Amino acid sequence: MIIQENLSIQNKLEILTDAAKYDVACTSSGVDRKGTAGPGMGNAVAAGICHSFSADGRCISLLKILFTNECIFDCKYCINRSSNDVVRTSFTPDEIATLTMEFYRRNYIEGLFLSSGVMRSPNYTMELLCESLRLLREVHHFNGYIHCKAVPGADPALIEITGWYADRMSINLELPTADGLKALAPHKTRKNILRPMKQIQLGRNENLHLPFMNQNNKSIYNNIDSVISSSTMDSLNIHSSRGNFIKEDSSNGNLLSGTLSGQHIPYENDIYINSRKPQALLNNISQNLSYASPDSSTLGLVKRPAVDRGFVPAGQSTQMIIGATPESDYQIISVAEALYQNFDLKRVFYSAFIRVNEDNSLPVLPGGPPLLREHRLYQADWLLRFYGFSASELLTEDRPNFNVLLDPKCNWALGHLEVFPVEVNKADYYTLLRIPGIGVKSAGRIIKARRTSRLSFEDLKKMGVVLKRALYFITCNGKMMYPTKIEENYITNQLISLKEKLPLGIGDQITYQQLSLFDDVNFNLDIPKYMERR
Amino acid sequence: MKNKRIYICEDSAEGIFTAIYDAWSSRYGHEYNRIEVSMNNENGINLELFSEYIYVKTDEEKAVKVAKAIKEKISMEAYDMVCHGIWSEKAEKADIVYRFLILGFSMGAKVVNHLANDTVMSLFEMNRNVSNEVHHFLGFLRFKEINNHILLAKINPKNDIVRLIAPHFSDRLSNGNFIIYDEKRKTSIVHKAGFPWIYTIGEHLNLDKAGNFSNAEEEFQSLWKTFFETIGIEARTNHKLQRNNLPLRFRNHMTEFNK
Repeated sequence: MIIQENLSIQNKLEILTDAAKYDVACTSSGVDRKGTAGPGMGNAVAAGICHSFSADGRCISLLKILFTNECIFDCKYCINRSSNDVVRTSFTPDEIATLTMEFYRRNYIEGLFLSSGVMRSPNYTMELLCESLRLLREVHHFNGYIHCKAVPGADPALIEITGWYADRMSINLELPTADGLKALAPHKTRKNILRPMKQIQLGRNENLHLPFMNQNNKSIYNNIDSVISSSTMDSLNIHSSRGNFIKEDSSNGNLLSGTLSGQHIPYENDIYINSRKPQALLNNISQNLSYASPDSSTLGLVKRPAVDRGFVPAGQSTQMIIGATPESDYQIISVAEALYQNFDLKRVFYSAFIRVNEDNSLPVLPGGPPLLREHRLYQADWLLRFYGFSASELLTEDRPNFNVLLDPKCNWALGHLEVFPVEVNKADYYTLLRIPGIGVKSAGRIIKARRTSRLSFEDLKKMGVVLKRALYFITCNGKMMYPTKIEENYITNQLISLKEKLPLGIGDQITYQQLSLFDDVNFNLDIPKYMERR
Repeated sequence: MKNKRIYICEDSAEGIFTAIYDAWSSRYGHEYNRIEVSMNNENGINLELFSEYIYVKTDEEKAVKVAKAIKEKISMEAYDMVCHGIWSEKAEKADIVYRFLILGFSMGAKVVNHLANDTVMSLFEMNRNVSNEVHHFLGFLRFKEINNHILLAKINPKNDIVRLIAPHFSDRLSNGNFIIYDEKRKTSIVHKAGFPWIYTIGEHLNLDKAGNFSNAEEEFQSLWKTFFETIGIEARTNHKLQRNNLPLRFRNHMTEFNK
């Protein structure tokens, strides 16, 4: 490995930005914090603020850099793999702090996104990341946004102290399955990735529910290990040959996956799970809330910093590389579902694989990165988080991949014509959400408006329902908009002929001036009203 | 048939409120009145035939009376909506506010939700437009460091938004000295460390001196440009998406787009 000495800060910044650019998440969202009266500077806005947009159209919100690219790991997809012949360098914690402060005061950025290669050992690296954050928070009194990676395999005490300084933390899952990880990232293990993820989840819950508890009790770590090695591991430890990782429980309805009935179910605040889980499961969950009891503290390995901003207040996220390994879309969204349910992740990001290394275990992608596939996965991700769908409804083992021509919701509806047409004046909220052409906003408006009067097609149009999509699936006062065949092939052709709004630059139709679900480069759902795009 | 009366007033809340006060108390009939803000462009306004032009002299006392009436007889929410509307770039804003208030004084607080009405809808749209631009400038504004660690930002917004972005930056940089200057309106926000921000009109500031950047400034500009040019992924280059998210009009004052 060539480690370049005496590089200028300019050169270092170029090398360590170039090495960090493949990380997807650049959001500064999830936490609202006022500025401080004392020394220092900074505040945070929950909706996030985009400060610029790079040539690929992605939002720049944070100073996204690696601490070092001197990496001892040899992950085959990564530009910084130890066997690559690239110039290696590292920042010092001081340089990170100065860059962040000076960029921040000129309003270039919302804060810092600090990631890193693994230098010498996970603990050695994590200590350096931690020291950079400490300098920013304690010496420079920086009160802006910080997103920091946890290095897989680092000591829990280092993870905890980082969690007190950072707003958001993330540990990349890298590849959807353990097999994929083994094939492409030989130095990483599923367990080393999930362990800090679980620690952060439990620490957050503890911090939110019992803010005054600060005990020195490490017993929880045995608990974490048992959690990881039991149910959650099972649900994530998917072998590409075995498709039945999500066990369908027919007695509970198909929304419930086997992962949910496991032994350790964390506190769950997902909107759709709450609304649909039967009593037995609720009991099961409340029993397992015993994490928060005083005798099993996750936190308390380290002393809290003087200024308490909370433990990872903006939550955690992760990212998976799409298309480097042969997993199906079904496997990918099932993993995402398990992550949302078992680890309380705020976001799962999907990153279309870009071949940066010559390695015969990596696929060749003559058509460029699989951007449309990435987009379909983001659409499905929304259906999981906000529309009450489960992974096993959207895809099956027999039909494991999304349709290139149709968005996942249309695709689902066409496979379930037996439940349509739906009477808009009677159907409940979650049934409305499942109709193509009706979204979260219009479904809410329908529920409100029909309290006072029966709705007509004209009314639906005013509420933002896309009738040219919805008309095959709904009735208003018992009548369809006009007589139409309810037959899969016919409707499929009709829907395909309507042009779908894809993000600019993806697919053949790039004339559309509107972004729809492409929020991976943009904001979270908690955008303020005035930011809603029409 | 009665002649139309057109009230020409100063482009400010005080000016528009004074005109509304005068128009209202003239008892000439709302349908024959119109309120316009005076444009400072050279062409002046297009004068209409058979119309009487009344040039309104801004009167703070009258303005305060109107403001008080809106807050008390309609609602605080309506007052906010009116004030944000007045900072919009829309040429007909003064008359829209006038029509909105006519409706508001008869309907009361619920006027703000009466979106089926064209006037209310226009004011609502103006508010949205202003808020959108405010949000954009929270991100796209760039400070440059001049002497004595003072930060200077020049902006060129469509709507009159400096007073709306001032609270955000004062909170964020409460220990900093900064100036945000609106080039088009020649107004600015001045913030001194530890003090509340102030709003100034006219060119009291000698901005020529501001050409002298601090020693460190160039270095950080160049570092930022390096970061900006490196962070994009070549395999995903998408200038259309970039332009859609960051329209060209913002780029003049953005460090990373200055060659």
